[in-house]
Amino acid sequence: MIGRVKAQTVETGKLLADWIEDRTGAVSMMEKFLYEPVPKRGAWLYTLGSATLFLIVLQFLTGILLLFYYVPTVDHAWNSVYYIMNEAYFGQLIRGIHYWSANFLMAVIGLHMARTFFSGAYKAPRELNWVVGVVLFLLVIVLAFTGYLLRWDQDGFWASVVGIKIGSYSPFIGGYVVNFLIGGDVIGPATLSRFFAIHVWLLPAILAPLIGVHLYLLRRHGEFGSEFEYTERLAKLKERQRLEEYERRYGLGEEEEERRE
Amino acid sequence: MAELQKDPITRSDFLGLGVIGAVMGTILTIPPVAFVLTPLIKTEVEGESDVLRTWERVDHVANIPEGEPVSYVIEFPIRQTYGDDRIQEESGVSQQEFTVRNGVWVSWRDGQPPEVLGGIGEGDEVSRDQIEELTQHLNVMNSTCAHLGCPVRWVAEVEELLCPCHGGLYDINGEHIGGPPPRDLYRYTFEIREDGFIYITHEFDGDPYIV
Amino acid sequence: MTEVHRDADQGRAAPAKPVEEEVITEENVFDRPDETMAFFPGQVLRDGYVAAALLIACTVLSYVFPAPLAEPADLAETQYVPRPEWFFFFYEQILMFFPGYALISFGAVIIPTVFVVLLFAVPWLDRSPHYSPMKRPFATVTGLLVIMVVVLNMLLAISRVINFPQG
Repeated sequence: MIGRVKAQTVETGKLLADWIEDRTGAVSMMEKFLYEPVPKRGAWLYTLGSATLFLIVLQFLTGILLLFYYVPTVDHAWNSVYYIMNEAYFGQLIRGIHYWSANFLMAVIGLHMARTFFSGAYKAPRELNWVVGVVLFLLVIVLAFTGYLLRWDQDGFWASVVGIKIGSYSPFIGGYVVNFLIGGDVIGPATLSRFFAIHVWLLPAILAPLIGVHLYLLRRHGEFGSEFEYTERLAKLKERQRLEEYERRYGLGEEEEERRE
Repeated sequence: MAELQKDPITRSDFLGLGVIGAVMGTILTIPPVAFVLTPLIKTEVEGESDVLRTWERVDHVANIPEGEPVSYVIEFPIRQTYGDDRIQEESGVSQQEFTVRNGVWVSWRDGQPPEVLGGIGEGDEVSRDQIEELTQHLNVMNSTCAHLGCPVRWVAEVEELLCPCHGGLYDINGEHIGGPPPRDLYRYTFEIREDGFIYITHEFDGDPYIV
Repeated sequence: MTEVHRDADQGRAAPAKPVEEEVITEENVFDRPDETMAFFPGQVLRDGYVAAALLIACTVLSYVFPAPLAEPADLAETQYVPRPEWFFFFYEQILMFFPGYALISFGAVIIPTVFVVLLFAVPWLDRSPHYSPMKRPFATVTGLLVIMVVVLNMLLAISRVINFPQG
């Protein structure tokens, strides 16, 4: 009896998988993604990239949740964050994850970039992936900056004041930069609306597809790049080149030649 | 997979593509950019300000002490997005009135009040000559540092105004004496009226940008 | 010879052939690393462990050190000491070295902009065929210098924050 149920379940599962494969090609795509060979050496180093992705996904999830209560107006913003922290169930956790994963994100991105830089992973044919990565890095920095103001407390507010003042020192366009950022000539309701729009809609909308491009380029060229994954092959290459050099200079016995073939 | 089919592009096709591009390009680029830049255009190009040109009362001159500056909080009403009073009148729905809160440091030049101050108490009528004398000796400064906008504080031990962010230093007149700030503290346009009170308006000897 | 080459061209996607058969040349040496594993489960598991560790850390930290919320914003407060977030510490510290109208723009905007442009251009600035950091000393030293400048400034900023008498 149990055997028959099991067999039927397997059969149904197979049919379902076949149907999905036929209609979408998703199964073979999954197979291709899951069973692609990747270097065994340095596998732990390559978790930095996926950790970045994971933290950004956490940002998206908790950010969307925070929007259920957050009100982006100067007279309600602080109160709504206070509500999230003290009244909403698990509000402290949801905002805590948003806050702490943002902090981890900055650190992990730094490590990820350092890893890429020192292993020379930006070299051809992966130049564009480096460029996209730098754009993502800048987007995350601006996200961190704009998100800080949203809670409308002293810490975030004054940090933004300093940041906006820094913008005012842009050569030639300083005044325009400031007026664009604060939406007027003094910090007020318009400033919060703008930072909210930039933090919640504009930048995530740019970030998400660029992450897609980053991952696509990664799959296209493979996640290789560090020479230390190739130490054995490089050693073999060197050895062969050395032998050839020797052969070119002094010639080799017939039997030696045969052995190498 | 089927072979790719590349039809030639005719002259009218090309024209059509151009029209589509022009329509899309115009409607989807210029209005959104202008939309987002509204405040910039209104303030920088048309010269409007969010802050209403009101005169706010600070304090009586007799209350400004000798040898140290005093800080006040002055609120200037602003019209910005949903706080705009013209719009609230239109909708009939009144929102909270929005203001920009300014920290203001007021001090006597070099900490020394002029001699005419001795005879002036609250409620006294102040004469034109006295006003002129007092005005010349009064400093009315914004509290944000001219460097990066942090609030400056009075440090009594050294008798200097200190910016806690990057160590900008100003003397009691708000003049820059040390640290990275590029200039003196921003000064308000102020006036002393016959009742002896100091009034300020949202106008500076430079653009502090944020306040 | 040609036989072996075709195998090498199939590259990573080909089932792992005995490595001895492949003749390694300058061209194909980076085609396939020494030893590979399937993405699933090897890499996926490692990624999962790191992700889970991060999630646990976030959860624990949210209760041990709750996300801060200071008093409501007040532009007129004169006793508040603004501090940037830790990842902007070094930038804020660098600004201290550029006093006056003539220099502030450099520290605040121009130098960071130049740095970002150079960052974009890294793949074209370093065109040496080597991957190992040891074999391209200029890039490595530059990278280490940047990290040193950032870390040193961070430490300076932290010491400044600690030493400032809170009002």
